[in-house]
Amino acid sequence: MGMIDTGDIRLHVQRVPPAGGRPVATAVLVHGMLTDSLASYYFTLAPSFAQAGIDVIMYDLRGHGRSERPDSGYTLDYNLNDLDALLGRLNVTGPVHLVGNSYGGTVAFSYAVRRPERVASLSVIESSPATPAWAANLGVGMRQWAARMERDEPAVLAWIRDNRGRHKARQAQRAARLVRATTITRDVPASRVLSEDQIRSVRCPTLFVYGGESDLVEQSPWLETLLPDYRSVVVPGHEHSVLIEAPHEVGRHVLALIHEVATAEPQDPPSEAGAL
Amino acid sequence: MTTFEGQPASRGDRFSGNADELILADESSVLADIAGMLRSILDEIDDGDRNEYGLDVAQIEMDTRFHRDLEMESIDLVTLAGLLKDRYGGRVNFAEFLAGMDFEDIIELSVGTLVEYVVRSLRAPEVG
Repeated sequence: MGMIDTGDIRLHVQRVPPAGGRPVATAVLVHGMLTDSLASYYFTLAPSFAQAGIDVIMYDLRGHGRSERPDSGYTLDYNLNDLDALLGRLNVTGPVHLVGNSYGGTVAFSYAVRRPERVASLSVIESSPATPAWAANLGVGMRQWAARMERDEPAVLAWIRDNRGRHKARQAQRAARLVRATTITRDVPASRVLSEDQIRSVRCPTLFVYGGESDLVEQSPWLETLLPDYRSVVVPGHEHSVLIEAPHEVGRHVLALIHEVATAEPQDPPSEAGAL
Repeated sequence: MTTFEGQPASRGDRFSGNADELILADESSVLADIAGMLRSILDEIDDGDRNEYGLDVAQIEMDTRFHRDLEMESIDLVTLAGLLKDRYGGRVNFAEFLAGMDFEDIIELSVGTLVEYVVRSLRAPEVG
């Protein structure tokens, strides 16, 4: 377990080395918003990725897990700066394979726009790039959640405990503290969003994983028109929490992409975008 | 991790570890070790995050469950994984142990299941 000081913030980082010593690739796994932490990768994808020869880097976003929780500074740009600084501190110079879940995928995608030379592939799970629609929806969702908690947190937690289990209730309690103690609810929806041209600029192989029961799959046809190398997978029977519910399936698809890119001959043109 | 001098690894001995750091690979010793780790994790957690019910952390037994009884979250299990690695080395890979399980099973995990896994891992013959 390590804390890395970027100079701006202290981040909790876990690194799982590849089986056999020499990595075939380096992957950076980015978790989601509020109730999430690197634990959702540590016990799901990380072991199988390491077994497959991948150097796995996971970290807690600012305000989450064991990372420092500043009072303010939670827009997407802060997360991008953190990722930049973190890779610098870890001496990770070559291109990495980014994997992002939900908000983590939004971070990963924007990072690929900012630093195309540092991203070998992008796999995002139940995630949307930072568009104006994304910002608007997230703003509404986060404000509603925060308002419910402020009105009657004990009742909300009791409901979650009775209907979703104690673990989810504890996560919600932690998230409520994050919302109360910081400007995150205001900051994230106010983040700088991407233009269509910026989205189009992501040329690396990109995989979008959707839960079949979730709404996000609706964005797929539009993204397919924009992204030069767009692949997508729908995991039927799952919603937004598909990473936690079907980690082997999700992991399999992401590993396949990383393996394809890591073992490709340098001169190959990008393969045709996969159909939904 | 080397075995105690003079004792062949393959016998699955009670003893494992070098002469300086004797680790007893039996359930009660491992339970005591792990209970100590859990107490240090629980002590570290900010009071504001702890539940209102009041935990009796002195009572960590084989049937104590990480989430239900100790209110530990998955991020706390990550800390535990680190402590296990520090103590037992590469033979005990908590993340790999959990990787085969459903998230629901992980939530219901008991200290005893972990103790049994550690004892099994410590007693396994050395490879290479």
